[in-house]
Amino acid sequence: MLSVEAFSLTIMIASLAPLLGAFTLLFLFLFEKRIDLLEKQKREIALERELQTALYNQLNQEIQPHFFFNTLNSILSLARLDRKTELIRAIETLSKLLKFKYQTNTSFITIDEELTYVKYYLEIQKIRFRDRLYYECSIDPTINQAVTIPFLLQTFVENAFKHSFEKFIGEAFLKITIKKQDQEVYITVWNNTTESRDDQSHERGLGLENITKRLELLFPTGNTSVQLINTDGGTSVTAVFPFVLKTEI
Amino acid sequence: MKKSDFQLYISGAAKLGVSFGVVSLLSRWVTGNTILSSPETLITYGLIGGIGYSFMGALSIILFGFLAKIIRKQFSEQQTIGDILREKLSPSGYWFMLTIIFITSFHSLFVQAVGAATLIHLIFPIPTFVGMMVFLGFCYIIGGIGGIDRLHQLAGINVTLIFAAVIVIPVYFFIQEGIYPVFDGIKLYHPYLLYIKNQEAILFIFTALLVFVGQVLLDRATWQRIFMIQKEKVRMTFTLTGVVWATIPLALSSLLMIVLFGRGFDNIYSLFFELVDKIQSTVLIILFVLFCFSAISSAISAELHATTSLFIKNAMDLFRPLSNNEKWKYTYWFAGTVCVILLFISSLLAPSPLKLLFFIGNIYAAIISPMLYIIFSKCKLPFIVPFSSFIGAVSGYVFMPITEDLKAIWISFAISSFICLSTLVFHIISKHIRNKL
Repeated sequence: MLSVEAFSLTIMIASLAPLLGAFTLLFLFLFEKRIDLLEKQKREIALERELQTALYNQLNQEIQPHFFFNTLNSILSLARLDRKTELIRAIETLSKLLKFKYQTNTSFITIDEELTYVKYYLEIQKIRFRDRLYYECSIDPTINQAVTIPFLLQTFVENAFKHSFEKFIGEAFLKITIKKQDQEVYITVWNNTTESRDDQSHERGLGLENITKRLELLFPTGNTSVQLINTDGGTSVTAVFPFVLKTEI
Repeated sequence: MKKSDFQLYISGAAKLGVSFGVVSLLSRWVTGNTILSSPETLITYGLIGGIGYSFMGALSIILFGFLAKIIRKQFSEQQTIGDILREKLSPSGYWFMLTIIFITSFHSLFVQAVGAATLIHLIFPIPTFVGMMVFLGFCYIIGGIGGIDRLHQLAGINVTLIFAAVIVIPVYFFIQEGIYPVFDGIKLYHPYLLYIKNQEAILFIFTALLVFVGQVLLDRATWQRIFMIQKEKVRMTFTLTGVVWATIPLALSSLLMIVLFGRGFDNIYSLFFELVDKIQSTVLIILFVLFCFSAISSAISAELHATTSLFIKNAMDLFRPLSNNEKWKYTYWFAGTVCVILLFISSLLAPSPLKLLFFIGNIYAAIISPMLYIIFSKCKLPFIVPFSSFIGAVSGYVFMPITEDLKAIWISFAISSFICLSTLVFHIISKHIRNKL
């Protein structure tokens, strides 16, 4: 049997409990927007920082003199051979590539924009590698306007050249697949060179780590991952992140 | 999206944050059921039962939050429970589940409507039919015609009224009367309420959890809200809703103590509304009446809206693809017809005892395992999975004459779970054999 003290305590808790509920609701109404804003700002700052790191990595790793000189030499050969149309196209593409590289300073871009940049890069590489290089790109048209981090695809493609095609002779085959599956975007870059695990350089590790971090920052609640897989047929790297349209951000 | 787009009727224009999500879910879950079943719980199982009831309700909403996060992650284009069932079930299974959802929907709407009719009968000196006509007319305009945006506009007012009443009235009474007279009155007239060592209450509390979980899992209004809340805030919203919701039945138990002390009672279901006779202050009477109507009307409107959306989008549209204008037209007709049926049934039934209307726990308990299987499965499920809920519920009713009501609910749950588990094992083994071959 409940004593009068226990009864009083029960009634007190029962009568005052709704106050707790009401205060919780009031707190949410007053501060939810502010908390969201703070979280968003925090994420943006972190993203910005990671982007700076990515840009630094890009400048350090990818505009390496040998890429630049080789490209200029290829362009020079075109000039010497008097292949004017190709020459103009090559210079134009190089200019667009450099413009994109130095002007991108937002935390996210659309897959379409990223792909355009990668295509400039591949066009230049095609001048260098000529018939040795084959590349194909398949993209699900519904995800053109989905959001991704800048230089994600570019890093994957550049890694394929730097760590595979430029090191090993023979045919260079590159396949880019971008698809949507269960509300997630899968970006896969496959090349036909098989590397041993020892060959995964520190530099490449840093690039992928940076991508992983930036994906986590851009999609804090979604499932994100970056995986490098060595198979018998070649090497592929896949990034997975949530499907979010630019208009939704 | 145009303002006349039917999608707006179902989901509204903007995604909800935690605060609006909690308010929207609260206005759905503080219902006539909460008000009507509190006295029964309290009187049958004592204070422990009353407290356990509120905790189990909260726990089931919190647990559903975990599922809601998974559901929201898997499906983002969908809007209703029907959309998911259609993806996961065979056509026969889909129509079967839809039938069960409609049966439980109408049952739930009837309970609310009869509650409202009882309240009108007790408080207003007008014929119940006229009172119900006005009340259901209001619900029709808000839930039937207005759509989700109109519901959300009123949800804030509803929740404010609910909290104002459950905070102010008990505090006012206990300050005025003092705790000792209430305790003495309860001890004299209803000493069983104070009995703590109540074995049956424990069984009741866990059975209540089962029924609550089933009810939340099958509630189309709650499912719709999963897709209206911002993706990353779904679990937090449900957790907070559970916590905040639990405080309301707790306060209702203390309100009932005020009604019960120093007197007996005739009809257990109208007991709560008899509080009106106890309240002296006009302001508090108005507040109490507004609270009751607000709780019941918001729940009816939310359920009417969800049932109509489900019927138009997941039933009618499949028979014949409807244009936007047709969807609106049929929405008005369907919601209107439901209101008219409710009007006649509630006017005929109230204020007679409602025992029969609380007789649906077996269905809710039997639906848990099939629903969990549906949510977690990756492929289309055979008819036996949804049908196991029917077998479970019927078995529960068959066992009812030879066992207690609560145990029959557990039997329903156990049988449907066994069937689902067997199907799962069979599916795994056959897949394994196929892979080996």
